[in-house]
Amino acid sequence: MTSTLNRRNFLRTTAAMGLAAGFAPAMALAEDGTLGITLVLPSPLGDVGWGRALANGLEPVKAAYGDKVKVTILENIMEGPDADRIMTKSVADGSKFLIAGSFGYQNGALQIARRNADVSVLHASGFMVAPNFTPFAARNYEGTYLLGMAAAALSKSGKLGTVSAFAIPELITSINAFTLGAQAINPAAEVAVVWVNSWFDPAKEQESAKALIAQGCDVIFSNAQDTPSVVDICEKSGAYVCNLNSSMKAYAATKYLGCAATDWSPFFLEQVKAHFEGSFKGHNAFLGMAEQVEKVLDWSADIPADVMEKIKAREAGITSGEAPVFAGPIAKQDGSEGVAAGAAMKDEEIVAMDWHVKGVTTPLPN
Amino acid sequence: MSVLSAYRLVRRSSASRKVAVLAPLGALVATIVLNLCLYLAMGKDAGAVFHAMLVEPLVSWSSFSEVLLKMTPLLLIAQGLAIGFRANVVNIGAEGQFILGAIFAASIPVWFPQATGGWIWPLMLLLGGIGGALWAVVPAFWRVRLNASEILVTLMMSLIATQLLAYLLVGPWKDPMGFNFPQSVMFQMDATLPLLIPGTRVNVALVLALVVTLAAWVYMQRSFQGYQLVVGGLAPQASAYAGFAESRAVWLSLLIGGFAAGLAGAAEVAGPLGQLQRSVASGYGYAAIIVAYLGGLNPIGILFSSLLIAILYIGGDNAMVSAELPVAAVRVFQGSLLVCYLAAITLVRYRLVRVKSEVRA
Repeated sequence: MTSTLNRRNFLRTTAAMGLAAGFAPAMALAEDGTLGITLVLPSPLGDVGWGRALANGLEPVKAAYGDKVKVTILENIMEGPDADRIMTKSVADGSKFLIAGSFGYQNGALQIARRNADVSVLHASGFMVAPNFTPFAARNYEGTYLLGMAAAALSKSGKLGTVSAFAIPELITSINAFTLGAQAINPAAEVAVVWVNSWFDPAKEQESAKALIAQGCDVIFSNAQDTPSVVDICEKSGAYVCNLNSSMKAYAATKYLGCAATDWSPFFLEQVKAHFEGSFKGHNAFLGMAEQVEKVLDWSADIPADVMEKIKAREAGITSGEAPVFAGPIAKQDGSEGVAAGAAMKDEEIVAMDWHVKGVTTPLPN
Repeated sequence: MSVLSAYRLVRRSSASRKVAVLAPLGALVATIVLNLCLYLAMGKDAGAVFHAMLVEPLVSWSSFSEVLLKMTPLLLIAQGLAIGFRANVVNIGAEGQFILGAIFAASIPVWFPQATGGWIWPLMLLLGGIGGALWAVVPAFWRVRLNASEILVTLMMSLIATQLLAYLLVGPWKDPMGFNFPQSVMFQMDATLPLLIPGTRVNVALVLALVVTLAAWVYMQRSFQGYQLVVGGLAPQASAYAGFAESRAVWLSLLIGGFAAGLAGAAEVAGPLGQLQRSVASGYGYAAIIVAYLGGLNPIGILFSSLLIAILYIGGDNAMVSAELPVAAVRVFQGSLLVCYLAAITLVRYRLVRVKSEVRA
């Protein structure tokens, strides 16, 4: 048989090959003991921020298990019906370990957990618990308390500001702790808040930071922004700046105060191990300095040595549990008693905190 | 003196039907070839990508049911918009009208979370349509009375709608048991749309969208009012001379478009979402503009274009999950398909003619 390769023939053959490839069944997955781990993120995965911290937390898991795990990261997945479908699809494709990286995935992820008893689900920032469904959150407030101490030491005006995403307890506690930390150094320190009402809106975040600086705030806390939007403005405007999740020092060479960072790897390693051993159990995972998940990185060299000593002492107290952040007496914004002297807030009170401490000047959006 | 040659687009006197059908297919093939090269360059398994993106949405029942679910709001909104577009009333604020529809529909489960009965979801859909139409009253009024561009006003009304939604969710409509998260209570069973196909998320809104499609077709093809709208769009002066009122066309177009978008918004909260959330504003209102034009502003064409765009959405997500395609590559595929389609459509309507022109130095 002879065949001539002319143009028409070539086109026809390639087209047929393309079609054949297209109709070939998708590769079988996860039938060989490999654990499919899927991380779903609400915003684009950048070099810094919330998503990056979660993704980095999986690196040691990959290193520890090698070929036995297959990590898939799905970024920029909108909360709601799309996320529900995508998570369902990845579980149907063989992922047995799902990390739902945003509060808004709660309902969909919980349904998946209920329908698939063999799937282990970790859900960020939520409050629902099921036998195979663990909500997890970092005690960011432990880090922001220390940042507040440093902020008050470096502020000339005593006016601090924060650009914050949503008025949910997790972020409210971060602001409250930042304020309490500042007051530990300068009792007259005040904190103004701008709520952006978005997890990802760099333009609005920058406008908010500018507004705070224009009002006289000279240290800004970038509360849950995924890009260096606020950090960048502060460096340019000469205001000190600190943030959450992962260090943004590279974007503020002179004005970077520090980062209340999260290292998820100890937690992820522990949970993946539990899944392999069949001992995964849904629980409320509230992780702080004691678990080595919460830590403050990249302290500014401008912080006076005596303040740094106080910060380190408090850090040790928080880690050991001897000096918790929300220990009374704490006054509410309106002056009424928030926490009585001698008492300390319990975890279930902290995760539901819906009031500001005295010294936060902006009222909470009801 | 030199002779330059250039190409120019010359409108065809009539487009052949065969070419009109072949053009979208050609665009699809060109897109596939282009992106195949891209995936090979990225070192991805091109076969797996295409299977996930273009085949699986059609052959896997679970994926296809999601296509139908995704297609429903696009179809509803685009049918409403197309009526206005044909009359040259450019409503690009369907997103805002969609949000208002969602808000109006959510008012029942938010205010009456304990209410039960089969009347709830139909009433929610009706309220949603009314909410969307009401939101379109402002641009219609301003266009008719003050001659303000409906393009700008509808767009700006969408921004206001987003803020209104945010206000309700962080304020009065926030779930009191929801730890301050910006979302409403979960709707009770009777406030969610009945499922059409058990085991999937496809609900009665799909039937509604198909009925609307049929109605749009009858309206445009068979009714005198539809004819008036089209003439008003094609030849405003002739239309005015014939005594067709422009203000009537503006009102009708915007109210119908708003109602359809509001209906879609209601179906979204009462359907797959099941509660009022910020993510209800997911861009359907803008995507539907593309759907309307891709479908040639023809009710039947829109049926197919909404299906195609829904397949691309679902397939794109599938490719991310199954073939590890980065989200950016999915967007490139969707974007390049639109570019190829627009190029193909242009070539259906125009001929490329080589023109020699004399240029004096």
